[in-house]
Amino acid sequence: MNMPSDADLLAKWRARPAPLLPLLHEFHERDGFLSEESLRAISEDLRIPIADLFGTITFYHHFSRDPDGYARARVCTGPICALAGANELLAGLPNAQAMPCPGRCDEPIPVLDRDRVLCGTTVAELASRPSPLPPAPHPDVEECVFAHIRTPGRATLAGYRASGGYAGLENALRGRPDALLDIIDASGLAGRGGAGFPTGRKWRAVAEAAGEPRTIVCNADEGEPGCFKDRALMDYDPHAVIEGMIAAGFATGAMRGFIYLRYEYPDTLHILETALEEARDAGLLGPDALGPGRPFDLWVRRGAGAYICGEETSLLNSLEGKHPFPRNRPPFPVTHGYEDLPTVVNNVETLASVPHILVHGADWYRGLGIGDHAGTKVISLSGDVARPGNYEVPMGFPLMTLIDDWAGGVPGGRKIQAVTMAGLSGGFLAGEALDVTLDEPDIRSKGSFLGAGGIMVFDDSRDMIEVAHSAMEFFAEESCGKCFPCRIGTQRLTERLHGDGPPDIGAWIDEVHDLGDTMMQTSACGLGQAAPLITESLIRYFPDRVSRHVAQSV
Amino acid sequence: MSNPLADMDKPDVIFCIGTNMTECHPVAATRIKRAVAQGAKLIVADPRRIALAEMADIYLPLRVGSDVALLLGMAHVIAREGLMDEDFVAARTTEGRDFVEHVLEYPPEWAESITGVDAKLIAEAARWYAKAERGAIYYTLGITEHICGVDNVQSLCNLALMTGNVGREGTGINPMRGQNNIQGAGDSGALPNNYPGFQDVLDPAYQAKFAAAYGREVDLELGPTKVTALDMCGDRIRAMIINGENTVVTDPDREHCEHALRSLDHLVVIDIFLTETAQLADVVLPATAWAETDGVCSNTERRVQRLRKAVDPPGEAKPDWWCVSRIAQRMGLKGFEFESAKQVFNELCSLSPIYAGLDWDVIEHGEYHWPVPERGHPGTPILHQGEFENGRGIFQLIRYRDPAETISEEYPIWLTTGRRLPAYHTRTQTGRAAGIEYLLSEERLEMHPTDVSKWGLEDGGWAMMSSPRGEVRIKVEANDRSPPGTVFASFSFNDVPVNFLTGGGYDPITHTAELKVCPVRVEPV
Amino acid sequence: MSDNSGNGTGFDFEITLDGEKVGVRRGESLYEVSERHRKEIPTLCYDPRLEAFGGCRLCIVELDGARNPVASCTMRAEPGMRITTRSARLDMHRRVLMEMVASENRDMDVDPLSGYASQEMAVLLDRYDARTGRFAGARSGRSRPDDDNPFILRDYENCISCYRCVRVCAEQEGDYAISVMNRGFETQITTEFEGLLGDSACTFCGQCVQTCPTGALADIKALANADVPGETEKTRTVCPYCGVGCAVDLMSRGDKLIGVQPAMDGPANEGALCVKGQFAFDFVQHPDRLAYPMVRGEDGELHETDWDTALDRAAAGFTAAVENHGRHSVYGVASGRAPHEAAYMMQRFIRGAFGTNQIDNCSRA
Repeated sequence: MNMPSDADLLAKWRARPAPLLPLLHEFHERDGFLSEESLRAISEDLRIPIADLFGTITFYHHFSRDPDGYARARVCTGPICALAGANELLAGLPNAQAMPCPGRCDEPIPVLDRDRVLCGTTVAELASRPSPLPPAPHPDVEECVFAHIRTPGRATLAGYRASGGYAGLENALRGRPDALLDIIDASGLAGRGGAGFPTGRKWRAVAEAAGEPRTIVCNADEGEPGCFKDRALMDYDPHAVIEGMIAAGFATGAMRGFIYLRYEYPDTLHILETALEEARDAGLLGPDALGPGRPFDLWVRRGAGAYICGEETSLLNSLEGKHPFPRNRPPFPVTHGYEDLPTVVNNVETLASVPHILVHGADWYRGLGIGDHAGTKVISLSGDVARPGNYEVPMGFPLMTLIDDWAGGVPGGRKIQAVTMAGLSGGFLAGEALDVTLDEPDIRSKGSFLGAGGIMVFDDSRDMIEVAHSAMEFFAEESCGKCFPCRIGTQRLTERLHGDGPPDIGAWIDEVHDLGDTMMQTSACGLGQAAPLITESLIRYFPDRVSRHVAQSV
Repeated sequence: MSNPLADMDKPDVIFCIGTNMTECHPVAATRIKRAVAQGAKLIVADPRRIALAEMADIYLPLRVGSDVALLLGMAHVIAREGLMDEDFVAARTTEGRDFVEHVLEYPPEWAESITGVDAKLIAEAARWYAKAERGAIYYTLGITEHICGVDNVQSLCNLALMTGNVGREGTGINPMRGQNNIQGAGDSGALPNNYPGFQDVLDPAYQAKFAAAYGREVDLELGPTKVTALDMCGDRIRAMIINGENTVVTDPDREHCEHALRSLDHLVVIDIFLTETAQLADVVLPATAWAETDGVCSNTERRVQRLRKAVDPPGEAKPDWWCVSRIAQRMGLKGFEFESAKQVFNELCSLSPIYAGLDWDVIEHGEYHWPVPERGHPGTPILHQGEFENGRGIFQLIRYRDPAETISEEYPIWLTTGRRLPAYHTRTQTGRAAGIEYLLSEERLEMHPTDVSKWGLEDGGWAMMSSPRGEVRIKVEANDRSPPGTVFASFSFNDVPVNFLTGGGYDPITHTAELKVCPVRVEPV
Repeated sequence: MSDNSGNGTGFDFEITLDGEKVGVRRGESLYEVSERHRKEIPTLCYDPRLEAFGGCRLCIVELDGARNPVASCTMRAEPGMRITTRSARLDMHRRVLMEMVASENRDMDVDPLSGYASQEMAVLLDRYDARTGRFAGARSGRSRPDDDNPFILRDYENCISCYRCVRVCAEQEGDYAISVMNRGFETQITTEFEGLLGDSACTFCGQCVQTCPTGALADIKALANADVPGETEKTRTVCPYCGVGCAVDLMSRGDKLIGVQPAMDGPANEGALCVKGQFAFDFVQHPDRLAYPMVRGEDGELHETDWDTALDRAAAGFTAAVENHGRHSVYGVASGRAPHEAAYMMQRFIRGAFGTNQIDNCSRA
C-alpha cells in the first residue's frame, strides 16, 4: 500500500467535521511521530496558528515529537497494575514508557503497542485478546445495560436486533420528540459519568436552546483510573450506545453526533467503526435516520491521552481542535457546546441505558434501584478482590455485599484496608465508612462520591502512602495547568506525599490542609476540586501512617 | 477616515485595498484581525500576498496599477445583479443613472483581462461587499501613489455610494494616514489650496478672512504643489524653507530633487538630524523632537490629541514653530510674537471652523474627532451621516488608464515600493533606535523564486536594478510574497536609494508620484 | 439601548453587592460590577482588554446559594444575585493562593521598569501578607537566556502561567506567536517548536511584556536604564510614528528618556502598540541630534553657530529673494511629523510674510 501524502491526508479530512485529531493521528501513524513539516502543513490547511497547534499537541501523552515515538510500547503503571508488577514489566520491555491507567484493571497488565492492546503480567505472557466480559450477574438482581451483553453476537447489528435492539428507537421515531423526553424524564435516568445530572432535563434544555445544528456527544474518554465499564459496553454492545445517541438526536433535534473515544481503546475503535458502518448501511444513520429528510450521523473521534478530556468542556475543546483546557461555566454545553451551539454530552453508560428504557418503560427502569434510587450503576471493581470486573448493581446497593458476596472478597486471607471511590477522584474509604450503600447521598455523607463508579480495593498489606502518592502524582501529571490551585496544589501535595515538605507533622498537616481546602473550594474544575480528597481521607483514616511518613522523611 | 478606528471591528465585510496594514499601521490592523476572528469576512486586493491577504476570505491579486479596472468590474457586478442600495442612491446621491450605464460597459471578464484576477473572484467580492450589513473600505498609499490616485479613490467612493456603505457605524471609506501628524499638517493649512481647516483659498470670503487675520493682502490663486515647486527651483522659486522632511530621499527621482534644491539661492532646513536634505541647506536650525515638544497632532481618524514634553532637548534646539516665527520677526514682520505652543494652537482654533469648539485645554484627554464646530459639540467620529458635506454624493465616471510607464523589453519587471514594520520611512528615527537592526538590517529586493532563476540571479546575491532614471545595487531575496513579474522594495535604506528609480509620473490633480509602479530591469552584478 | 426599564440609569437589573443593591448592565461579569464599585478584588490573570480566563482564582467571591466561591471574572451577573467580595474565608483562600504562587517563583520583587503590570504579584503578596516560605518545592518555568532579541526578556523562572501573554498576543494583537506547551506544573509558555521569538510570528509589539504581572517577560531596553539616577516620571503623549495616534506614557528620569509604556486608556489604541511605538523611542537622544544652529560658511561647509547669526542669515536670505525675484520666489514645506503648531506657523509665515499660497506638506510622498 502506498503511503498517503500530506496532500492526500489533508484532502481527506479538511471538509469533515472535527478534523484535527484524526488528521494528527493519521500523520502520527504514517510517520511514527509528528514532524515539524506535518504540523506546519496541518496548521496552514486548517488555519490553526502554528504556535497554538504546537502547544496543543504537547498537551497529549500519545503524540510524540520524537521519531519513532509512536512505536514505543506503553505500559500501564496505574494503581492496580502497580500492585500486579507493572514497574517490573516496564523495566523488562526495551524502550517502553509508562502510561496512566488504560482501563483494563480487570485483566492486568495492559501494554499499548501502536494500535494493539496486549495483556499479561510478564513479558512472556503478553498477548492480544478480547477485553473481559462482565462476570455473570447475581441471580436475584435484574440488569439493565448488561442485560444482553453476554449474548454472543450482540455487537453485530443482526445480533443486536435479535435481542430486541433498535425496536425501542423505531417505536419512538414514530412518535413525537416530546413523548421521548417525557419517558426519559420519568425514568429518573441521570448521568452515569459521575455528575449525575438528570438526562431528561439535559436533553430538554438542548431541545429548547437556540442555535443549530445541535450535537450529541458521547463521552467515551474513560480516563479515570480504575474505571473500565464503558470499554465493556462499547466492546460488546456498541449498538446500544448508537441507539441511545440516535434517540438523543431525535429528542433534541440534533443532526450530528460524535463519540469521543479515549486513545487507549484501539480495539474498541474498530468495533465502533464497524457498528457505525452497519448502522449507516441499514439507514439507521444518514440522510433519513430520524425520518424522511431528517438526517442524523455519527463519527468517532479519538483522543490522544489526556485525562482532563473526560471533563466535558475540555472534551469539546479537544474535539474542536482547540487547546483542551476546560471552559468556564456557565454557559453550559446545553446552550454553548460543540462549536458554541447546543450540545448534549452524555456518558456511554447513560446512553446505553436508553434503549432498555425505551423497550421496558420508565417505571421499569426507575424500579431497578433500591428505595428512592432510580436505576442501576455499573461498578468497575478491581484490586484486591477475588473476581474483579464490571458489576451492574441496583442504585443503593451495599458496597460490602458487592465486594464480599459478588466479587468473592479479599483473597489470600487478608483484610480490606481501604477502597477508592470514583476511581481515584473520591479518595479513600476505610474502616466504618466502608459500610456504605452505592448511591451519591450515602457516599457523599462519608466525604466522598460515587462518580463514574470505579472502586479499587486495597488489602492490609498495601502501603497507603505509596498508593496516595501515586494517585496524587497522576493528578499532578494530568492537571491541565489552567488554574493556579490545581496546577500548583497537585504538585505540592505530590511532593509532600513523596517525603518533601515540612519535617514537623503539625506544619505538614497544616500545609496539606490549607492546600487541599483551597484546591477544593477554588479550583476551576472537578480535577482540582477532587484531588485533595486523597490527602484528606488519608489523614482521616491513616493518621499514624501519615505521622510515620513525615517522621521518616526527615 | 470617514469612520473612527473603534469602528474597525464592527463591519461584517471588510475590503482592504492597497494597504499593507499589518506592517504600516499595525495597531489599526489588530482591529481588523479581531473583526475577522469574530467572523467578519475579509476581502484583500493587493499585488503582493501580504499578511492581510493570508488572512483574507477572498484575495484579489491584481497587477500593480490596475485598481480602477478591478473596481469597475466590481461596480459592474453590483449594478448588473441589482445589488445597489436603491434607497440610498435615490436619497443621497446624484448621477447614479449615468454611472450605472457607464459601469455596465465593464464586466468582470474585462477586468480580469487587465488585472489578471479571476472574474469569478471579482464578482464574488463585489457581491459580498454589496450585501454587507456594514461594509467598510480601508486603503493607504497603494491606492493613492499612482498617476490615477484620485481615480482610484473616486472608484472606491462609487462603490460605497452605490451600496450605501457610508455614514453609518462600521462602514465608510477609510484612508489610513502614514505619518503621525500628516492629517494635522493639512488641518493646519499647510496646503497650497486650503487655509487652516480646509477653507478654500479661492473663496473670496476666506481670502478676506485671512487677509484680515494676517494683516496683509493674500494671493487670489492657488499655490503650486511641492512637486511643481521642485520643478520651478532655480527658476521662479529661489528660496525654500523645509521643516522636518528628508525630501531628497523620500521623493521620487532623487537626482532631479537634489539638483532642484542645489539650484536654490537660499535653503533653510529645520530638522532634528543633519539629513541628506539638511546637508544641502544654507541654514540648518535644530528642532526639538518628539518627547521634547509640547503640541497637538491629529491622527488618521481626525482625533485631536496633545503631545507633551517629557525631557529637555539637546543643546539649544528649539520648537519648529519658534524657529519659523523668529525668522519672521528677524524679517521685521509683526504678528509673530508667539511665546508658547498653546498660543499658536489657540490661534489656529480661532481661525478654523472645524476646530472652533476646541482649544488647548479642551483637548487634554484627546476624545474629540473634528469637525467640532462649536464649544460643547461632541465632535464627529463618523462623517457623512445624514448628508454629505456638499449635499449629495456624486458618482464619478472613471475610466481605466495604464500606469505612466508600462513594462517593456528593456524594463520587463514591475517594481512596487512600500514599507516594512520595523523601519519608518528613511529610518532617520528607527535607524537610530537601539535593537531595531535586529529585526531589519538591510534592504532586500523581494522577488519570486521563479523570477530569481529566470533573470539569472541568486537568493541573497547582489543585483543591479535600473529604470530610465537610474540604477541601484540591491540584494535579492527569493520569496513568493510578490507574484512572478513583480518585485518589491522599500526606500528605507539610504544605501539602496530606490527612489532614484521611481517617479515616472504624477497624479494630475494631487501631484502624488506614482511610487507604486515603476518598470525596471534586474540583472546580476 | 440597554436600559429597557425606563429608570434612566442605563442598568438592566440589580444585584446585591456586599449588602448593597447595585445596578448591572446585561452581560457584565461580577468582577466588572465589583470594580465599578471599587471593591478592589485581587487578580493576576485578568486584563480588562481580554476575555476573562478564570485561571488565578484570586477573584473568587461568595455567591449566595453556591457551595464554593465563584470566580467573579468569568461569572456573569444575573438578576437577584447576592455576592460578598470580602470574608475571612475568601481572604484565607487568597492568601493561600498567593503563597502557592510565591512558592513556584524565583523572585518576589522585580524592577518596575520591567513592564506596565510587573508589580501586580508583588503588590498582592504584600496585601495578603503571604508567608512566602510556605509550600516550598519545585519551581516552574525554564527561562530562555538563549533568546538574543534586544527587546523582550524571557525569564520564565518568574512565570506564574497566567497566560496573559498568550492571550494578549492572540486576542489583542492577533499574532498568535506565543502559546503554552505541556500540562500542569510542566506548563511552559513557548513559541512554535520552542524557538526564539525572532523566528516566530512575534512582531515585538511588547504587549506581552506590558501585561505580564511578574516581570517574567520584561522590557530589556527599559531595564538597561535601571541604573539611571532619579525618580521615574511618566508623561502622556502620542507615538511619533504612523497616523494611528497611539497614546503612550514616556518614562524619564531627569533628562534621560528610559522607556515607553502604552497608555491603557489611550483613546485610539486602548493599550496597544507596535514595535516602533514600544521600542523605537531612543532616537530622540541619539548623539546625531542637531543641538546648535548651523550656517554654510565661505568654505562651503556647514558650521555651528549661535541663534542670532543663524536667524539673521535665514531671514536675510528670504528678504533677498523677495527683493531680487519677488514674493513668489519663496516656498515653504511643512512636516507631517511635527505638531500642528509647526505646520500652522509655516503656513502663517508663507501667507503672512509673502501673501502667497506657496506652501505644502510632505503628504505627496
